[in-house]
Amino acid sequence: MASQQMALLKKRTTLTLPSDALLQAQQLADARHVNLSTVVAEVMTAGLQLEAAKQRSAQVLENYRKAFEGFTDDELAILDGVILEPVGPERG
Amino acid sequence: MIDPAASPLMFDTSAESWLARTAGPEISRWLQDYLAVHRFSVSAITVTERIRGYSLLWRRAEPEARQRIETARIAYLNQLGIVLPVNTAVAVVAGEIMTLVPEPPTPPRRTHSHAESRQDRLSRWRFDQVIAATALVAAMPMVHNNAADFEAIRSAIERSPERFPGLGPLELIRCTLLTQSA
Repeated sequence: MASQQMALLKKRTTLTLPSDALLQAQQLADARHVNLSTVVAEVMTAGLQLEAAKQRSAQVLENYRKAFEGFTDDELAILDGVILEPVGPERG
Repeated sequence: MIDPAASPLMFDTSAESWLARTAGPEISRWLQDYLAVHRFSVSAITVTERIRGYSLLWRRAEPEARQRIETARIAYLNQLGIVLPVNTAVAVVAGEIMTLVPEPPTPPRRTHSHAESRQDRLSRWRFDQVIAATALVAAMPMVHNNAADFEAIRSAIERSPERFPGLGPLELIRCTLLTQSA
């Protein structure tokens, strides 16, 4: 609830943005009949979500690597559910 | 190549470890792109197989090696995404699959010094059948590195569609095809 309220809060600020990106954002705003702030807010939210996904994916892959590193082939087979037992000497 | 953003996929036990062991920029890139949009989905049975593996290794290990195994086990649990449950629907479908293909299609695994018992091979086959049933019920393509077992299950389902109303086909994706160009 608190985070939803935070998301709805707006704050005025001054930013320095690349002019070509700003021009594209303004063109998008004009085409959609919304103001520039709306487009910038949407783009920023999408970018932040992408950044969070990247960080999450890096963390998952790091854990994935740790989960399987340093094991021998026989040990990895056991981790895959293949339970291998030593074979006794053949009897002639 | 499978589009990583296209749809969520379920990863079989064999696929998880293949992905973790397969180094290379292509597969890393594919995984990063997939995880940017989706989470890893696995069957609860895959978690059972994996944790049994860590537990067996821990019990067999010398005391000084146990911490390394425990660290790996915790890392595995920390990366888990969506764990699909074995619910009533999965249990029913798995029962049908087990009747259609009661015997494993390949013999027990064997190396020069180690062998899998017939009993363990059968339990692994049963696990695979429940995993396939989970993917079928979830209507998710399943990524695997075990063509012999899962193709046998897929064929059996195709031959008896009347036993799987409203389900199927079982869609399988081999790990090697994830990044392979058409």
